[in-house]
This record gives sequence, C-alpha cells and structure tokens, in this order.
Amino acid sequence: MRYAKVAFEDVTVGDELPRLVKGPIEQIQLTRYAGASGDFNPIHQDEAFARAAGMGGVFAHGMLSMGFVAQAITDWAGAGTVRKLGVRFAALVRLTDVVTCRGRVLSKSSKDDVDLVELEVWAENQRGEKVVSGRATVALASRG
Amino acid sequence: MPIQVDRSVVGKEYPPFPVTVERGKIKEFARAIGDLNPFYLDDRVGAASAWGDVIAPPTFAVTFRDERADAGALLRDLGVDISRVLHGEQEFEIFRQLIPGETYLCRTKVVDLYEKTGKSGPMAFVVRETAITDRANEIVATMRHVTVIRL
Repeated sequence: MRYAKVAFEDVTVGDELPRLVKGPIEQIQLTRYAGASGDFNPIHQDEAFARAAGMGGVFAHGMLSMGFVAQAITDWAGAGTVRKLGVRFAALVRLTDVVTCRGRVLSKSSKDDVDLVELEVWAENQRGEKVVSGRATVALASRG
Repeated sequence: MPIQVDRSVVGKEYPPFPVTVERGKIKEFARAIGDLNPFYLDDRVGAASAWGDVIAPPTFAVTFRDERADAGALLRDLGVDISRVLHGEQEFEIFRQLIPGETYLCRTKVVDLYEKTGKSGPMAFVVRETAITDRANEIVATMRHVTVIRL
C-alpha cells in the first residue's frame, strides 16, 4: 500500500527502493514550484533570459528534483523518517524530461535506540543520465 | 576574461530571521512537488499522528527566506549577477519535524568559497550553512547550500 512504512527488520542491505517516476516536466510546474519555494530566478521561467544567460533555455529548479527524491524516500520509508538528505545536482532537468527517482540500501545501524538506514539515492532522466545523486539517512520503526 | 568574486564574504553571518510555519504553505509546497502524502496534506491524519499535526516535507526549509539573508543577499555581496548562478549541492539534516504554527529562527553564514574549472569553464563554489532553532534555542534542522557561479 502507498505510504505504508517499511519496518527496520524488513530492510536488507542492497534492497532497491520502488522507483518514483515524475514528469514530463512542464513549465507550469516550475512556475508553481517558484511560488511555493520563493525561488523566482527567471532562469526557470523565462526562455529568452535563460538563453541569454547561456543556458540554452529554461531548466527546472534543482530543489524540485530534490523534492522528487525526498518523495521517493518517504513513499517507501514513511513521512517524517528522513534524518539527513544531501544531494549534488549532476545535470540540468529540462522541460519534457521524465525524472525517475531511485535508491538503494547501503547499510543499517542502531544507535541510542534509533534504527537507522543509510541510502544511496539518485534521479535519472529518460536517457538514463544522472541528474541528482546523493545520500540519505532514514530512521525506521521496528515491526514491534 | 572570467569575472572576479569578492572572497571577503567567507565567514559572513547574515542577520538571523524568524519564520513561522504556515499550514497552507506546507500544503502548497507539497503539491508543487506533486507529493500528495496525507501526513503533509490531511489535517485529520496529522492530528492523529505522532506529531499531532501535519508535518513539512524534508526539503521544506528551503522556503525559509529573508531578503537580507537569502541567495540574493549573497549575490549582492559577491558582486555576481543571478544569470551566472547554478545550484550545486544541497543538504538537510532534520532533528525534529517542522510543524504549522511554530516559529523558528534561521541563522545563515558563509563557510567556504573555492574555485574549480569544470567542463563548462571556471566556477566558484560558495558554501552556506543555515541553522534552524526553536524558541528554546534548540536545533531543529540545518541546511547546507552550495551555490555555483559561472565565472
């Protein structure tokens, strides 16, 4: 079921997270994300501005793709489980791109009664090129 | 001829600014990402949860902005035009969930600036860290932003 939390005991190193497919990216989503996030850099909205800046046209906010990656994690682990999420924006996401968010379990540990899972996370476009790569730490509940 | 950035910005601490998290802003942000998780959007699910209310998505703190302390302020200090800027890296560490109605204090400082030459030419990387604390001055979350400037 969607939004079900995975239990710590049921996670094995090497497990892959379910893939989350987002897009195709439309201009309206970038406009909406600008309003929601407060990032009004015209490079994400104004084709002429983006071309004049040498970027070859508008591209998505990196933070939108990071939001997609965060969603892929919480769809699997549950809301409120992310303790740390760090990413590098490896390539630009363009209009019409389809972004697939992925992840893999790197390690498990328990410290101070908290059960933590370390993840490799990334997102790739429809050509399989990485657009985001990073790491995350989630705190999972036990099956109890 | 590459542009010069003002390196004296390293170590600068921007004025602390308060932010009160709004319920509608959380929902607007989640919907803009297309993340319809009920723990962000459904007040009844939030009320019945361990947090007693809806919570913010993991990247929500990026909405915490103040014109005297945001990326625009950084660019003014660096003497750089916004058209040269890319987002290089971002990190969030979350110690407690951000919930509606709470007021937090954000403190941002510039911790590093280094230059590298990539395949698209010389670039400067400016690293900022933001600490987010609650009314009791306890740390709730941190953000680390790496801004890339095409020189």
